[in-house]
Amino acid sequence: MNKALRNPLVFILFVIPALVLFIMFFIYPIFSSLYYSFTSWNGVSDTVKYAGLDNFKKALGDERFWVSVKNNGWFILFSVCIQVPLIVFFSLLIANVKKLKGLYKTAVFMPSIMSTAVIGILWGFIYEPNIGLFNKVLGLVGIEPVYWLSDERFAMLSILITNAWQWTGFYIVMVLAAILSIPGELDEAAAIDGATGFQRATRITLPLIVPIISVVIMLSIAGAMKAADIVIVMTKGGPAGSTEVMATYMIKYAITNFKYGYGNTIAVLIFMFTLVVTALYQLLFARRNERIEY
Amino acid sequence: MPRLKKSLPHVALLGYLIVVLFPFLFVLFSSVKKDNNAIALNPFGIPKTFEFSNYVEAWVNAKISTYFFNSLYISILSSVVSILLASMFAFAVTRMRQGKWNKILFSLVLIGMLIPNNALMLPIYTIVRKLHILNTHWALIIPYIANAIPFTIIILAAFMRSLPSEIEEAAVMDGLKAPGIFARIIVPLTVPAMVTVFIVNFLGNWNEFLLANYFLSNDELRTLPVGMVQFRDQYQMNYAQMSAGIVYSVVPVIVIYAILQEKIIEGVTAGSVKG
Repeated sequence: MNKALRNPLVFILFVIPALVLFIMFFIYPIFSSLYYSFTSWNGVSDTVKYAGLDNFKKALGDERFWVSVKNNGWFILFSVCIQVPLIVFFSLLIANVKKLKGLYKTAVFMPSIMSTAVIGILWGFIYEPNIGLFNKVLGLVGIEPVYWLSDERFAMLSILITNAWQWTGFYIVMVLAAILSIPGELDEAAAIDGATGFQRATRITLPLIVPIISVVIMLSIAGAMKAADIVIVMTKGGPAGSTEVMATYMIKYAITNFKYGYGNTIAVLIFMFTLVVTALYQLLFARRNERIEY
Repeated sequence: MPRLKKSLPHVALLGYLIVVLFPFLFVLFSSVKKDNNAIALNPFGIPKTFEFSNYVEAWVNAKISTYFFNSLYISILSSVVSILLASMFAFAVTRMRQGKWNKILFSLVLIGMLIPNNALMLPIYTIVRKLHILNTHWALIIPYIANAIPFTIIILAAFMRSLPSEIEEAAVMDGLKAPGIFARIIVPLTVPAMVTVFIVNFLGNWNEFLLANYFLSNDELRTLPVGMVQFRDQYQMNYAQMSAGIVYSVVPVIVIYAILQEKIIEGVTAGSVKG
């Protein structure tokens, strides 16, 4: 009776369009990147010259490349060491207030649905040395204007703050959902046993949301490795290349300077670094197969 | 004392709220001030006289209307086509009986979720160039469609799997063929999940910057995020007008968010967890 659903021709017709696009834009690019990473192709000429490991040597020997790796590292460190504690703190607070819960949730989430480009512009204005919000606030306590985006000491930090401003609320909502799904009886039982609010938060809720915190960290790492548009919009990698990240370094060489082969080498390195960082995190910190049953 | 304890979390949360919302207010206030000087003299407050000409000039100078409609139609078209192709695929691998092929194809698509897509930008650039669509809207539409396919398939397949199999058994009895079952039975039932993925895909395309910045060079074709950055670079000195531009690009998103916030929060967070 299920002949209608066993027709292979229909099956193929249904699968093909999505599959063709998927192979064209996901599978083929991986192999193409890998292939061109060993060439010195400029992206347009007809001849493709094999270059062996030259590109990889060049990248690993380029000081500017390491600056970009370091900046990706800052992205990861900033999200894990500063954002994650804030995320946990604020989601615990929102979960425990009775009034205005919906308002807090809606408001903190809002920046994460905005375009990163527009947020970059908005924050560029906030960091503006003469009329921007930041220096005006600092001016109230008598601090001299700081050139946030054009001073090498502050440019990266300014980008990290903007990035945190955009994404912290997003993760808060994720963690909040996990907290609210914990059955209320656990908390009530602890309250009857005389545990204070602080004790319940740190001894009951926190251990139960460790898996979602782990997910948040994984997502932050993935996001940190992808970061590019915020840097392009806010500083274009400057001043003097000090805010360049791996993805912008790749784009700069491949598209702006016609070093297509070399750009692909960087793409392959981004890929490898992402794998290594994720694997390291999984090995060192993530507790595997942890399932929580209530 | 208990009252103080109760209000302490609210104090902290209101502080956070101000940090999130004040930048928007700052831009809103600045957008109705006369010029940079007026902003510098009174950075925090509402201006005494409202200067709406910034909005008129930004609309004309920044060609907001062109960028806005480019973004709108590219985002809608790409999202709709992604959902169409992905729902066909999801239907085939979850409801049709092709033994191991169902599983193989579905797992293949799952791999797509693990690939950091920025790293694939260069090969996609060459594909687009070889197709001779560089510097046309197709250079964005086709990659956007492809980009959303893995996520869309995963969400729709999960939803379709949860539908009871008696549904199509009855349909087969009534003489429907596979395409009929898909179009008349499964698609109408999957609409709620489709709405969720549509919102996620739409927002993703609406906000996309990298491809839109490098794959188009003709000013008339630009999308809103890229157009805004270019406007900023041209009128860097005129912050009042720039603020008006920011308001134009932020308000539609806020309006949509105000109406659909539950659906958006659900969809966007589901997207990242499954990814």
